[in-house]
Amino acid sequence: MKKVLSILTIISLISVSTIDLNGQCNPDNFANACIPKLASGFNFLKSYKVDGEGGAKDKVEYSYVFTKGTRYMINLCANGAATDGIVVTLFDSGRNKVATSKINGQFISAIAYPCNATGIYYIQYTFDGSAGKCGGSALGFKR
Amino acid sequence: MRLVAIGFMALLITACGSSKKPDEKAFLESLDSAKTGPTIDEEVISSILQQIPSPLEISVLLKESGTKYNPAILNTSESLSKYNSNYKKALNLGVYGTDLGYTNIYEQNQDGLKYLTSIKSLADGLNIGQFFDIETIGRLATNSKNLDSLLLITTQNFNSINHYLQTQSRANLSVLLLIGGWVEAMQITCQVAAKDPKNKELQEKIGEQKIILEQIVLLLSFYKDDANMASLLKDMEELKGAFDKINITYTYKESTMEIVDGVAVIKDNSTTTINITDQDVEAIRNLTNSIRNKIIS
Repeated sequence: MKKVLSILTIISLISVSTIDLNGQCNPDNFANACIPKLASGFNFLKSYKVDGEGGAKDKVEYSYVFTKGTRYMINLCANGAATDGIVVTLFDSGRNKVATSKINGQFISAIAYPCNATGIYYIQYTFDGSAGKCGGSALGFKR
Repeated sequence: MRLVAIGFMALLITACGSSKKPDEKAFLESLDSAKTGPTIDEEVISSILQQIPSPLEISVLLKESGTKYNPAILNTSESLSKYNSNYKKALNLGVYGTDLGYTNIYEQNQDGLKYLTSIKSLADGLNIGQFFDIETIGRLATNSKNLDSLLLITTQNFNSINHYLQTQSRANLSVLLLIGGWVEAMQITCQVAAKDPKNKELQEKIGEQKIILEQIVLLLSFYKDDANMASLLKDMEELKGAFDKINITYTYKESTMEIVDGVAVIKDNSTTTINITDQDVEAIRNLTNSIRNKIIS
């Protein structure tokens, strides 16, 4: 009976740790953590999950209509204080690069974008040497 | 070994069972609109829906440009009893959401509380009331110092509703909610522009809605098998006809960046030019007003 209970305990622990491993990336938590980190004066608009699914995805992309005359901020949150190699890049509707959070090899945790041209923009997250490939992001605006 | 298997199964059942939402059945049974599903992948619909900007952006623009608060241009919160179908409830949930955002931005908390009550009622009617934290919002609304928190939690609640509807394969209601909110924001902008006809920024703001309307028409086209959605699509296509006269010219020029206090600050060198005449604004205002009246009646 002891043997059976031991096996049951081991299987239970394996099962629980598998759930933990599967659920290791919790982008919702990172996305929520990013909201209060928007700079003062910015109104929250959206939070985005950045889940590279353990390397299965090399990018995560969202889109939003940015409008002329509005300042936007996009920030990044990941494990630890830095961005863990997560880079956010902004493209216009013609897929021209407008902004990136990797400048001269430096990973920046927020982009401030004063929009001068209304249109659909693509907010793309990529993983550049990222260990966790897991994070979150928030979008805010002010006039 | 059988004990191990039973234990393992029990663990799985416990792990899986907790994710089922108790109100899911009631929610699905309550739907009366657009029972025919869309003809396109719902992921595509979600990706278009998330592009639609928040009506809050318009309210902030109006306030910061010095426009005075005018509750007469909003839908009255007392119209609630008129909205009996889920089609009307979802549309007017969006309308009231925009009106609540407008009252919040202008710190008109008493008016805001009335909209909040109507919103909660409509959301309950659609079985999505659990996402609207009326107690917290009501408490925040009693003090103007809480404006940032009030705007944040309201936006989060609406985002949660939209996310939930899309994950429940009922994105049709999410589409209606966003359209209702957009039409109300358009109506507010058009009414303000009518009183300030020389305000070119407002005219441009109206003109640039062409980009959003194109997405709305695309969204509605996925649901044209539903009579209500088809009728709304027809109205929106007519409005699009008025917008087709507006010319938006986009010129891309590489942006420059610098790091300021740990933030990458972009200098956007691209531009858009929006050519819109007074006659275009008038035509758009008339059509918007007509569509909005159908929605709120």
